[in-house]
Amino acid sequence: MRLFVANLKLLFRNRQLLFWSLAFPLIFTAIFGLFFGKDVGGGSVALVNNSKTELASSLETALEKSDLFSVRTESSVESAKKLIKKNLASTIVEIPATFGQNTPTAAKTIKIIFDPAAQQTSAVVTVFVDKFLTGVNYKLQNAKPIYSLDVEKTVEGTFTYFDFVLIGLIGMALMNSNIQSLAINMARYREDKILKRITTTPLPTWKFIVAEVAAHLVLNIIQVAVIIATGVYLFGGHVGNNIGLLFVLSLLGAVLFQLIGFVIASATKTASAAEGMSTAITIPMMFLSGVFFPIDQLPHWIFSIVSYLPLSPLLRMMREGALENLSPWSTPMNLIIVFAWILVALGFAVWRFRLTEE
Amino acid sequence: MTDMAVVIVVENLVKRYGKLAAVSGISFEVQKGEVFGLLGENGAGKTTTLEIIEGLRRPTSGIVKVLGHDVAREMSQIKTRIGVQLQSSAYYSYLTLREILELFGSFYPKYLPADKLLKSVNLLEKAKSYVTQLSGGQRQRFSIVASLVNDPQIVFLDEPTTGLDPLARRNLWELIAQIKSQGKTIVLTTHYMEEAELLCDRVAIMDKGKIIALDKTHKLVEQASKPFKVSFISDRTDTVASQLKKIGTLTELGGKTDHFEITLATAASLHKALDLIRTLQPASLTVTRASLEDVFIEKTGKTITEEENAPVRR
Repeated sequence: MRLFVANLKLLFRNRQLLFWSLAFPLIFTAIFGLFFGKDVGGGSVALVNNSKTELASSLETALEKSDLFSVRTESSVESAKKLIKKNLASTIVEIPATFGQNTPTAAKTIKIIFDPAAQQTSAVVTVFVDKFLTGVNYKLQNAKPIYSLDVEKTVEGTFTYFDFVLIGLIGMALMNSNIQSLAINMARYREDKILKRITTTPLPTWKFIVAEVAAHLVLNIIQVAVIIATGVYLFGGHVGNNIGLLFVLSLLGAVLFQLIGFVIASATKTASAAEGMSTAITIPMMFLSGVFFPIDQLPHWIFSIVSYLPLSPLLRMMREGALENLSPWSTPMNLIIVFAWILVALGFAVWRFRLTEE
Repeated sequence: MTDMAVVIVVENLVKRYGKLAAVSGISFEVQKGEVFGLLGENGAGKTTTLEIIEGLRRPTSGIVKVLGHDVAREMSQIKTRIGVQLQSSAYYSYLTLREILELFGSFYPKYLPADKLLKSVNLLEKAKSYVTQLSGGQRQRFSIVASLVNDPQIVFLDEPTTGLDPLARRNLWELIAQIKSQGKTIVLTTHYMEEAELLCDRVAIMDKGKIIALDKTHKLVEQASKPFKVSFISDRTDTVASQLKKIGTLTELGGKTDHFEITLATAASLHKALDLIRTLQPASLTVTRASLEDVFIEKTGKTITEEENAPVRR
């Protein structure tokens, strides 16, 4: 128990470790949050409604009620264009003054001006307005549509790219801090003969390892909580309702990465070698396991390899749980891969990791 | 139960790394309450021997018993009763001295209060410092006191003074004498001759994995074939040099001009030599007995240098 407390002190007094395990993922969260978090400009529509007719105002209401984009009302096209320049809006919907009037000269078209950089929003807005107009056209002609669409989302609720990355960042933080910290600490303890010194005391090896692992798990819980809190409250991210599951999966991942840390510590001789090897493992995994982008977009042969990396199935389970409200049992393969890695790493660590050399 | 005074028994101890024999069949006993020194150059097998007794390495063959328990089978009974200080070891960087002592104490069924230990080595005011904030001598004192945390019966010190300045070394000698005065047995390794001579009741000289001499320190010194030594300074040695060379080994010391040393086998030859040297009216004349270093050089045919040129065994 005292060793566990001592390990906690060691972790929290090590500023370098704290930076990599807490500040570093938070910086990433903030960067992605600022770019992709709360919709700042990308999904914003500037509405210039010059008409006072019923039809115009009903379009205005329909746009405002839509949850596909946010609407800002502007008095002129010029001021709306300024918004686009400032990146506060991406698409302008201009309703001409005579639109909807019951006169022959009345304007019959609505103008959409869009920022080519935000084609997705403009496409959504265009379809939306087009559909609205089609509806009006049918009504005027007293016709009823015969064919219709039944659109269904694959996922409950909406999630954004930021939500996707937020889960990825949790995985990244768990991987980096556990692999790096365990590998470097153990290698350094061995270099400094702390491990050997402990072997001369009656303390059983398993207690030493359990205390080390437990202290890291405490750090991991704080890590995950801080990242989720920052992502959700500061940048409007979503992690679903099953926070408990997210923590359980995080700790499962933490145990796996700690074991990998022990493996690295037993395969290297010095702390700097351990540092190099853990960087060589974590950096590629960060990109190939889908922290920042979905790996199923990779060429098939690469995907079929990288989807078996330790971090990949963990992120899949965490995302399914957080974003799609699915249980980890829904795709047992993910759990199987994670447990297979745990067994492999555990086996190697038990086989090779020693507190002292012969 | 034949001899209660013997606390460590080593019999025909062999440790091989592949074809290399680090320790090749050594035997010795350590008595309760004595300071026992393993003397030898780097790579002679001192640390390997010590670490086998401490249970850190497995012997290839041979028997090692500590406090009546076999290290191969009953290490757990031994561990609570020994204290170990490792060669050039470090401690946790982010724990204070007090925290480290309390932590290591908690590994034992009973342990001494941290502050009492720190006070005994004048480190109480550093209780809240990290090890990295200590000087070399303070670190080494801490490292030794950390090996006393369980109030052990036997303390193992592996090169406790290597790399320290003379004053810090003298401090440590006092500390080691103080530990001995508490009735503890001390086993230490060193490659400093004067340290072994000053501290150890008995010394085993190791060379290439073997013990080539083992006795009480003063008896070892008496084993020197030429136990008397006369040092003098004179610029007129030509007249008596040939006569001196007949009765002893005359050497002109390198580096300094007119400094000479002669080693002699018997008291009679000592007197003869002194008579001869007096005729030179030397600027300086000192008579000393041979040192452990002289014995070591005679026995091994080499000198110990501080240079770490010997391969380090890990």
